[in-house]
Amino acid sequence: MSIVTARRAEMCYCPGCSHGMVLEQLGQALDRMGRTSANVCIVSDIGCIGTADRYFACHTFHGLHGRSITYAEGISRVQPEVLTIVLIGDGGCGIGTGHLVHAARRNADIKVIVCNNFNFGMTGGQHSPTTPIEAKTTTTPQGAKEHPLDVCSTVAVNGAEYVARCDVFDPRTPERLIEALQTKGFALVDVWELCTAYFVPANHLNRAGLSELSEKLHLPFGVIHQSQAALSKVGSRPPEVRLRSAPEVSTVSPSLPSLAWTGRREICVTGSAGQRIRSAVGVVGEIAVAGGLFAAQQDDFPITVRKGFSMSSLILSRDPIRYAGVDAPDLSLILSTEGAERLLRVMELRPETVVAAGTDVVLPEGVRCDRRVELHPVGKRVGKESSALVALSACLFEAHYFDVPTFLATADGALTGAYRTENLSAISAGAELVKENRCPSPLVVNQ
Amino acid sequence: MREFITGNQAVVRGAVRAGCDFFAGYPITPASSILSEFVKVFARGGGVALETEDEIAAIGQCIGAAMAGAKALTATSGPGLSLYSEQIGLAQMGEVPLVIVDCQRMGPATGGATATGEGDVTFARHVTSGGYPLPVLAATDAATAFRLTFEAFNLSEQLRTPVILLLSKDIALTRQTVDLEAIHLSPCVERHPAPAGAVYQPYAVASPGDVPAFSPIGGFQRVRFTGSIHDENGVLTGDRKKIAAKLTHLHEKITKSAGALEFVDEDLDPDAATLIVSYGLADGAAREAVAATRKRGVGVSHLTLYTLWPMPEKALRRAVTPNIRRVVVPELNIGLYADELRRVIHGPTLEPLTRYDGGLIPPHSIIEKIFSPKLGASGRTEFCPCPS
Repeated sequence: MSIVTARRAEMCYCPGCSHGMVLEQLGQALDRMGRTSANVCIVSDIGCIGTADRYFACHTFHGLHGRSITYAEGISRVQPEVLTIVLIGDGGCGIGTGHLVHAARRNADIKVIVCNNFNFGMTGGQHSPTTPIEAKTTTTPQGAKEHPLDVCSTVAVNGAEYVARCDVFDPRTPERLIEALQTKGFALVDVWELCTAYFVPANHLNRAGLSELSEKLHLPFGVIHQSQAALSKVGSRPPEVRLRSAPEVSTVSPSLPSLAWTGRREICVTGSAGQRIRSAVGVVGEIAVAGGLFAAQQDDFPITVRKGFSMSSLILSRDPIRYAGVDAPDLSLILSTEGAERLLRVMELRPETVVAAGTDVVLPEGVRCDRRVELHPVGKRVGKESSALVALSACLFEAHYFDVPTFLATADGALTGAYRTENLSAISAGAELVKENRCPSPLVVNQ
Repeated sequence: MREFITGNQAVVRGAVRAGCDFFAGYPITPASSILSEFVKVFARGGGVALETEDEIAAIGQCIGAAMAGAKALTATSGPGLSLYSEQIGLAQMGEVPLVIVDCQRMGPATGGATATGEGDVTFARHVTSGGYPLPVLAATDAATAFRLTFEAFNLSEQLRTPVILLLSKDIALTRQTVDLEAIHLSPCVERHPAPAGAVYQPYAVASPGDVPAFSPIGGFQRVRFTGSIHDENGVLTGDRKKIAAKLTHLHEKITKSAGALEFVDEDLDPDAATLIVSYGLADGAAREAVAATRKRGVGVSHLTLYTLWPMPEKALRRAVTPNIRRVVVPELNIGLYADELRRVIHGPTLEPLTRYDGGLIPPHSIIEKIFSPKLGASGRTEFCPCPS
């Protein structure tokens, strides 16, 4: 049985409409290729050609306007053995131009057949993205003024494996369809057609007129582009997908030294983007959790990346943390002026809040500072990008939040990843900073 | 083992636990790290993670993949959910199992990309044309993000429906301490497979509200999928009886399962006069406030909603015990869900406690609300960030 189940005359298209011809040619191509119903999927777009799925005895998918390409790509990624064919009109190529171009760029393994009749037939003969200049449609009664979209060149220059433009009446069209269907990767055939309901009567177009139009628009028929891979039929198809095969990675936690802790404390570190504020706070959080505490880290930052403030708050507790917000921190480390400004805008510095700040930070009026942290020599020793973690570690040790050897041992067992060594050095540098007692007035933390 | 992970990481872990093997998304704050985390996880095999040209393609590819047999998830924020709208309708009509995560941020429009807000709670329910329901869940922290992602997959598989899971910026990006192994999950559900051999009718159900058996596109049985109104064979129909049956089915398959869909935490005190109903980001503060209130010797009831839609009406009615006089609803929007609650809560006064300036509702403001209600004409209290 043929994959296309209806004859042209039985289809729902207007007398003389070319859609039925294309479907017959496609059916014959699939039959010649020996494709069976289980390994073909027709994804039909919207408009007159969108009704075509009903004539196919294979998997069919009829979705939304212009989005047929997206479903086809999803299907083909999960079922790479299925020949996934998109039937789309010129209107669909307009609303879905983005998908068309990007599917070509990704070399999605889908075959797109554009049934191009230069106007919207189903909705009343409005102009479409491929309407030729000067052509009359119901929305261009004086003649179209917009440049018609060259669908073929657009996908050809953007990674398609195979691209052809055909006149539906040309006896070579079935061959073009087979070439496209046999291509591994993205293939497109732009088939020029007659819309006998609107475009033909409004523009006196006929079979011969399609060739004249092709010359006039400088859009030739034939194979427009064929990659070397498509020629050799090897294809640069995306790698096969292995589904649901990966075991979940489970990390076995080594037994790490528990951190001594009572109650709940809230810390806020604020500075500027690029100072690795959030990373530093995250590192301390990771160590705390590995050491048996509960932690919650909440970040505050603008949309800019290497500019603007960067603030991160950390709650450490013996008990589970229900509310992760920090409104008035117990300890606040300020590493830049704009960071301080942000802090003051969204949090409260209470009299009992311990405030530490980098020596170079100009504190806004009204902000007292209990402790200045000299960052420059530290930066020289461990790298400037680690100074937030150095300063934070120093504050945590000096405030007796953590005992240095235990914290270092827990950190050693807990930290992983590319920055492990760097982070461990930064924490050690923080400990040294406290030992050297660079600060004349050590932090006293109210507990 | 306790871990220190963000809500977004928890979503990915929950998805993988549920057998998710397809992700497509478009970068958007605060959902982007779900995309990058999936890329990392699936680099080891086990699935496809894809960054698409836009949100419409992201959900479109997920729909295609899901109908080809994958368990698919996509994630975005409010602006992206707006773009998903039409495709969500397609997934409803075509009965596509699909999980959609919306990491909410301050809206409308681009709003505040890095500012928190939970203004999508009614949008998620009415996200597409036609008015048919879909389940909407809301996480309160990283642990529930993990659990609810898993449960969202179960619901989507069981009911063949898109399910929306809401997070918000300060859940998505906040790192919290979670022991994933200790979290109780339901048994993993897979879509009901069509019996082999027989001719497959992709949308045949015994009675409206039953769920059609699934066969993948690319499998041995021919699948006919359409977003247009169709009969049991997936063929367009103009038969009004069949149209009514299909659309009643879309409605009833969700409402029939409403009981199974009620994910809530009930912490009720039968003597309490005040009930706190909370969801999302305000829930943690509500829990703190409830604990503090009880410490002061005052009874208070608390109902946490993880299911927002269909509205967990049974749980709500159970929570409104005879002594309840006031229902306080803290939420990070203009009081959207409190307004919806008026439909099912009639006796007690409904008192929204709202905040939508990008900050959180802290526990003390809920405590103040419990002890000193300051009612305006509308019963609405807006959070004042500066203590008066």
